[in-house]
Amino acid sequence: MKNLIRVTAGIIITIIIYTTLAKISISAVQIINLFSLVVIYFAMEKGEVFGACLGAFCGLIYDSFSLGVFGVAGIAKTLTGFLAGYVSKKIDVNPFIRSLIFIFILISSELIVWGFLYSYIFSASFNTGKGIVFLQPFGTAFSGSLIFLLIRKFKGVTSKHKK
Amino acid sequence: MPSFLKKNKNIKVLIGLIFLQLILISIQVPLDEEETYFEKLIFSVFSPVQHGVVYLFQKTGTFWKSYFDLKGARKENERLKEEMFFLLQENNIIRNLLQKYKSENEINDALRNIQENILHARVIGFDASNFYKSVVINKGFLDDIQKNMPVLDRYGNLVGRIVGPISLKESRIQLVTDINCGISVFSEKKEVLGVLAGDGKGMCILKYILSTDEDFFQGERVYTSGFDGIFPPGISVGEILSLETTSGLFKKIMVKPYFKFQDLDNLAVIKIKNLNVF
Repeated sequence: MKNLIRVTAGIIITIIIYTTLAKISISAVQIINLFSLVVIYFAMEKGEVFGACLGAFCGLIYDSFSLGVFGVAGIAKTLTGFLAGYVSKKIDVNPFIRSLIFIFILISSELIVWGFLYSYIFSASFNTGKGIVFLQPFGTAFSGSLIFLLIRKFKGVTSKHKK
Repeated sequence: MPSFLKKNKNIKVLIGLIFLQLILISIQVPLDEEETYFEKLIFSVFSPVQHGVVYLFQKTGTFWKSYFDLKGARKENERLKEEMFFLLQENNIIRNLLQKYKSENEINDALRNIQENILHARVIGFDASNFYKSVVINKGFLDDIQKNMPVLDRYGNLVGRIVGPISLKESRIQLVTDINCGISVFSEKKEVLGVLAGDGKGMCILKYILSTDEDFFQGERVYTSGFDGIFPPGISVGEILSLETTSGLFKKIMVKPYFKFQDLDNLAVIKIKNLNVF
């Protein structure tokens, strides 16, 4: 139950940030893949199956925000969630630099899968936003690593206070 | 349970999820106009969240302007007063001109008809896959929104049309810059008819203009012709940006739409088929 509340809160916060960023600057939304960050964060915490399921769900939400086909972002995010959970079990990806590289690789792969599916289904190349979308792996990796670090720090402070 | 079996179980879940989504994709492809119940359901669930965020933004902005940013509010008030002054002058001049052809009652009725059939809407969401494809507005079934209603920006330029899904208080607009959009248009000077479609990157392409057709002018305006049965005739869409005569059958003509993506905040949904009320 606690997990469900946390995940729901995470998704709602993501939708709020997504809508807010889109209102301020479209490029900002293209640079940071917020939904994938939620998937990666919980996959790292709960494992590959949870990550894959959450990826599928977040993909559906992402697809609902577009005039497209349900499942395209879903497949890409399912794979991201699974890989994030699987790799983070084997390797410690918590340090900032490792986290940066880890998220960078995951988002790059997701972008490739999503781009391939999009181009195949719509028979058209996807909008790169004058190349801005190619900054997405780095933008997401940097902001994600920073957010994850801050969350860990915050958790550390609160657990110390509890003691 | 042995570790390899546990690993296999996880992979089975992954394959199952991907398989389910592939089925979901295959249900929707080939893409058609009619949206599925699933799409409608997801849209109805998540669009109110976007609606709520925009509402919160608006209220915060109003609160800030009303209680703190009084200097800014005064400045805006002055600007609006000035704008209104000129609009009233314009309105009077046009009314006086019209009175040569129509009685005052006829003019008032026609103007009332326009006012009653224009719905003010605000953009509350953008397309996640391609920003030049669609936007979501804060008007839906409860505001009598129906499919194919034309949508204009604050200056009266064409933005797109209503497509599904339409929920109680939200609906989606297909933008003229979407590759699947098709509008019957004509050019201002040469009055050549063509079909305008988006390029998915913020521009439009004027299609099916024969290489042997007369030349267009760069900067020539493009208006809706009304022949598509969706958009009323005479709405300004954009202007010709570049033209190229290729070795093929048709010319390659790029059109820059008038609406600006950054200005897509306040929109007008036209609820009548014919804007030519006089």
